[in-house]
Amino acid sequence: MVRVSFVRERKSICVPEGTTVLEAEILAGLRPDAPCGGAGRCRKCLVRVAPMSSGGTDSDSALVSNGNMNSEGSMDFDGNTGSGDVDGEDFLIHDFRAATPPVRACQTKVSSDICVDTLTSQEQDLSILTEGYLRPVTFHPGLSVHKIQLDKPQPGDKRSDWERMLEQLAKAETQSKAQPETWPEIQPKAQSDRTERIQPEIQPEIQPEIQPEIRLGIRSGIRSWIQPDPALASTLYDRRGESGTWYAIHAEDEILELRRVPGRICFAAFDVGTTTVVGYLLDAGDGSVLAVESRLNPQAQYGADVIMRANYALEHGTAILAECIRMAVNEMLEALARKAQVSTTDIFQVSVVGNTCMHHLFLGISPASLVHAPYTPAISQRLTLRAAEYGLCVHPKAQLLMLPVIAGYVGADTCACLMAVRPDLNDEITLLLDIGTNGEMVLGNRKRRVACSTAAGPAFEGAKITCGMRGAVGAVDHVFYKDGVWSYSTIGSEPAIGLCGSGLIDLVACLLRAGRIDENGRLESGQEDPQTFVLVSPEDSGNGKGVYLTRKDVGEVQLAKAAIAAGIQLLMKELQVTEDDIAEVCIAGAFGSYMDPLSAGDIGMFPRSLTDRVRSIGNAAGEGAKLALISREELEMADELACGTDFIELAALPDFQDCFIEQLEFENA
Amino acid sequence: MSKITEVAELVEKGKAKLVGPAVQAALDEGCDPMDILNQGMIDTMGIVGEKFKNGEIFVPEMLVAARAMKKGVEVLKPHLASGSTGANGKVIIATVSGDLHDIGKNLVAMMIESAGFEVIDLGVDVSTDKVIEAYKENPDTKIICLSALLTTTMPAMKDTVTALNEADFRSNIKVMVGGAPITQEFADEIGADGYSEDAASAASLAKRLAAA
Repeated sequence: MVRVSFVRERKSICVPEGTTVLEAEILAGLRPDAPCGGAGRCRKCLVRVAPMSSGGTDSDSALVSNGNMNSEGSMDFDGNTGSGDVDGEDFLIHDFRAATPPVRACQTKVSSDICVDTLTSQEQDLSILTEGYLRPVTFHPGLSVHKIQLDKPQPGDKRSDWERMLEQLAKAETQSKAQPETWPEIQPKAQSDRTERIQPEIQPEIQPEIQPEIRLGIRSGIRSWIQPDPALASTLYDRRGESGTWYAIHAEDEILELRRVPGRICFAAFDVGTTTVVGYLLDAGDGSVLAVESRLNPQAQYGADVIMRANYALEHGTAILAECIRMAVNEMLEALARKAQVSTTDIFQVSVVGNTCMHHLFLGISPASLVHAPYTPAISQRLTLRAAEYGLCVHPKAQLLMLPVIAGYVGADTCACLMAVRPDLNDEITLLLDIGTNGEMVLGNRKRRVACSTAAGPAFEGAKITCGMRGAVGAVDHVFYKDGVWSYSTIGSEPAIGLCGSGLIDLVACLLRAGRIDENGRLESGQEDPQTFVLVSPEDSGNGKGVYLTRKDVGEVQLAKAAIAAGIQLLMKELQVTEDDIAEVCIAGAFGSYMDPLSAGDIGMFPRSLTDRVRSIGNAAGEGAKLALISREELEMADELACGTDFIELAALPDFQDCFIEQLEFENA
Repeated sequence: MSKITEVAELVEKGKAKLVGPAVQAALDEGCDPMDILNQGMIDTMGIVGEKFKNGEIFVPEMLVAARAMKKGVEVLKPHLASGSTGANGKVIIATVSGDLHDIGKNLVAMMIESAGFEVIDLGVDVSTDKVIEAYKENPDTKIICLSALLTTTMPAMKDTVTALNEADFRSNIKVMVGGAPITQEFADEIGADGYSEDAASAASLAKRLAAA
């Protein structure tokens, strides 16, 4: 065994010789970023490595003269056994000089005790989109609380304690007048003149099925839909008596808890993305958001995209990835509860949405069927499960709601976006775009909706782009070109260190406007190296390297935007509509919220004429997850939205390739 | 500028819509169809492939150039003696079972076609049986090319290559493999005759293997 010490994180771990630094990082719980899954291609896992010693100088010179550094093979530091007992301040004595070249953690094997500088502190700097914009809906959650009296039975009453309790509950429910409260309406950032389109369609008076008597199925005074619970029944004797007033917290078909005081009752909604996870804690009394948490999906340490994750699951078992995401969700649940000053056992329902792969991995379902043609999900219907059985630390009887998935590559997150947008309420055609590593899109209206998924690739998330990065502090998020003058802005107004998705498309759009990129994507920067456009010089940048765009990066943007544009073209063809028929383009997700629609139109990600019909809908998937908790009608609607949305497999369409190649060009060059 | 040079330029720039009319114009002017094919297109794709290998152009440009050539060949084909487009022999190409990705495979097919082969494209998600069946229908096939884009379908590629290696016609053919996750080591391990990193190298590899 050898010891690997991480100086920034002040953690150390013993690993078998031959372990890679990346594996050691994962084992130490550091959650490193490894977009290519440790294949040695992406160079995003760079670290600096120094031999462990207490003296310093000797080993440092050994390190410099070692020469193994660049080959990134086995690191062998002769004569360095290391003390193994390094802690605290000792970590700081290592001098990671700039002269020590960074190496790829995934390709660097540990053969003696070493110190590692992970060169990152990204997590707390990330800017993750948590906002969304809701339609107003009637607050009518699937979970309710009713005050009941558990009295001593009269002599001769042969009913069981359980039956008498159910009767009390039925009475309480009938009495509590369904007071429809309106979910607080949050106005979209860029309010359009189509407000009437997002008005609630569902009103209690036109929904006879939600009248309590009918809904609760009261038959001969017994609320028969409630599942008998022997464990709870056995406590009823002790609970009855003079002070027999209890609050029953129950879902439609089961009682979750009997409480003396109603206390705080909460819901939690999670949008589990491939890259980021966002969690919301809601007050079950009025649906208001009590706390929000977000972080990177720790599965990123096993690969950036769903294919690599799936591949990892197939090789090493699904359990590792399931465990990984559940642990993150539990940490977030704790943080949410702490922020809102409630206990995690006050959380009675948790809804989770995610793309089909994230959905499967969360549930511990093998993703094998997702990565082999014809890419079907293992299970797609809406699920109501016991949260505790999936390792969530909430109330032991809390429910876990999983929204339905639409197809192998159109997941529950897209279904949740549909719930937030509800294109099925309109006669006009809506285009819903959710652009992440995969671009999912749905086109349609009341009559018919068609969905597809395109491999947009991770270019808009910063991968594969020379200076690409995620939307974190220091990322160039917008670029401006006017009268021959270039300018830009960065997240947090910090010195620029890279380009995030919105900055990338702005830059390409500006270069097109400036005539420096031709229709084939050839870059003539007019600078020293004509194949490279330097936006931020090394001196002005925050990393000493500058921020620039290469011809190859332009090619990656072409491939990504062509995939999305071809998807839109083929959906329009399927529905036999033209771009003029599309009334609104709703763009979900972080990239969609930060990007300039004009730039997206100019590079041809969607037809340019749609630019003024774009509405950014924020984290719509998260909104859908919340809607599932606050309205049982909306939750049931999820099934119809998922079943009633057709899926087309682009790869199976003979037109796809032609259409894709056609869209590679920059029409507006 | 001669009409053939014009065809060549349009192919290189990937002007699919203009290539057809330009080929027609060259034919109308009395250019030899074989010259249009060889100098206007095959040589041009050779240059495109070379530029790609040197990092001067990237995948999007190669895709549009290959498609432009395809459009040109469509116009030219009726004027060519049968067999003259595939003088180097027959190649069967397929994406392996369980994999629906075909843009990379199609690009390789186009580059190999432009190197003077007749390409039989079996499409995507092709089972081992279908590959063998296709060979039996075309016993003069020289090369079988297999593509896999997902790491998860590499085992399927291995299965197909293993089956080919056990087939009695194995000595009559060469097997080439490629795709994003495929490496030379993997190709060697499963017993393929050749691997190439990109579509341009695939075309020259096919020429080498066919000549061997």
